[in-house]
Amino acid sequence: MRDELVAVFAGPDEAHRALDALREQGIGGVRVASPAPFPVVHMTGQPGPWRALGWIALVGGLTGLGSAIALQVITSVHLGLVVGGKPIVAWTSFGVIMFELTMLFAGCFNLAAFALLSAIARRRVARAARDQVTCDRIALVVPLAGVEDEIRKAIRDSITAAALEVVP
Amino acid sequence: MSDAKLSQIERDTLATMSSTSWRYWLGLLTAIGLTALGGWAYWVMLHRGLGITGLNEPVMWGSLITTFVFFIGVSHSGTLVSAILFFTRSPLRAAIGRSAEGMTVIAILTAGLYPIIHIGRSWLFFFVLPYPSQRQLWPNFRSPLTWDVFAISSYVTVSSLFLYMGMIPDLALLSRRVGGWRRPLFKLLSLGFSGTDSEWCLFEKAYAIFAGVVLPLAVSVHSVVSWDFAMSVMPGWHSAIFAPYFVAGAIFSGIAMAIILLSGVRRGYSMQAYIKVDHFDLLAKLLLATSVIMTFVYATEFFMAFYRGSNAEAEVFRWRATGSYAWVFWLVVVCNSVVPLACFWSRVRRSLTAMLAIAVAVTIGMWFERFLFIVTTLAHNFDPQNWHNYSPTFLELCICLGGFGWFFMLFLLFIKVFPSMSIAETMQGQHASASTSTSEGVVHA
Repeated sequence: MRDELVAVFAGPDEAHRALDALREQGIGGVRVASPAPFPVVHMTGQPGPWRALGWIALVGGLTGLGSAIALQVITSVHLGLVVGGKPIVAWTSFGVIMFELTMLFAGCFNLAAFALLSAIARRRVARAARDQVTCDRIALVVPLAGVEDEIRKAIRDSITAAALEVVP
Repeated sequence: MSDAKLSQIERDTLATMSSTSWRYWLGLLTAIGLTALGGWAYWVMLHRGLGITGLNEPVMWGSLITTFVFFIGVSHSGTLVSAILFFTRSPLRAAIGRSAEGMTVIAILTAGLYPIIHIGRSWLFFFVLPYPSQRQLWPNFRSPLTWDVFAISSYVTVSSLFLYMGMIPDLALLSRRVGGWRRPLFKLLSLGFSGTDSEWCLFEKAYAIFAGVVLPLAVSVHSVVSWDFAMSVMPGWHSAIFAPYFVAGAIFSGIAMAIILLSGVRRGYSMQAYIKVDHFDLLAKLLLATSVIMTFVYATEFFMAFYRGSNAEAEVFRWRATGSYAWVFWLVVVCNSVVPLACFWSRVRRSLTAMLAIAVAVTIGMWFERFLFIVTTLAHNFDPQNWHNYSPTFLELCICLGGFGWFFMLFLLFIKVFPSMSIAETMQGQHASASTSTSEGVVHA
């Protein structure tokens, strides 16, 4: 049971003001369900999975680098042909393909990580909030679990939204 | 910002998808006609062989490879400009980024066709791919031509993903806005993006990483194409300056093509409120800067050729300027070095007609520049007994024109299926400027 307050706003400015009001009251954990098309009320300051993206891209790049080295070295050694007087394992020549595959794998891993982490992240916002939101509306989702009734009332009073609803 | 305003932005930015003017159909039919012409010529070439081209010994690379190098160049600047504007947080990116990225992907898809066409037996192109053949031979990883395959396939993949990733928020929006066959397609492509704060944070971080990946890749791909030539010992090609020279030339030709495409979108879809004169002013300044760099490189090449004391090198450059292809050389100088100087004047930079004319001149100049350095080196190499001129045949030129038709056809189809501007960034930019105006106490009517 999440027990969340869903406040739906007609536009991003109203949602922004409400977010500022909540911050002033020291209410944390607020999530924004602003549907596409643009990120106005994003960056609520909470830690999130996006910090892992850089590391995942790095792992992807290193995978690409390893693949390029393996492909070129193993096949060249297996073939054993001297071409143009260059050594069989010619690192200078192999550098280009190593670079290209490093970048290619980093990009692909980055996109895959984005798709996966997004799917996980959006599940954290209550379905009720997502269902209420249309393309022209923005919802703030305030976690209320463990919050006293008096503070709940204060939160509700501080938000002037088009619609307010507590959802389990 | 009111909902009505947001809807207006959506309507305007979606205009390229929802409305179809006679100009669009005229452009598309012309492009299809050129593509069909090229397809017919290619079909004839497949039946009769490479003998229908003007290629000979020693000029075994001609107009087909020229078109390949030209389109690789065009592909270069789209992603580069888009990524640079992203990192500099330029508000100008919203209007031109998507078209530029689309241009990149389409240009590289076009470019990739030409080596396949040029080899004559196109069905054997997979010989260059890294797999052991029936003769137990792998592609030679020490050859720049093999590097090319990796560079281009990596670039087309990453550029396509970069373009796609930037469209994800727009596709999520459009999946709720459009009907018909686009709706399930956009829903699928949007990966379920619903616009929560976490998703936006992930998107911005992932997009920044992508921009960081695509920038060096863009520089590398044209450097690798330049090494197809520079790694040989041929006079006029064997030069350390080739990679930066190609990169500068690529940006130069790509900006010219971007100006042509953006002016078409702006005029065809009444996008004056979004694709502004400021955009063309910025592109004109970039065009001017790269033109000056190109002129410097041309001069450096000549200086080095005569200074280093290599007779073969000096002879090739003397022949370029005064021999059989002198008219091409002087056309290149006029189009690439003289005409863009008009961009020093603000009035020219802010005149759409003038910029379109300059961009067309630069596009012509850059195609001929690629032709010039490829053909003159091969036609006038080390051995005078081997000297032989080259002229493309009618069928060969048809195949090259077909490439331009293919390029414009794909671009026109792209802007019909997908939004040619970033809806999210356009809305974000307008909202930010509205907020700034409000906070500064500016009262709007």
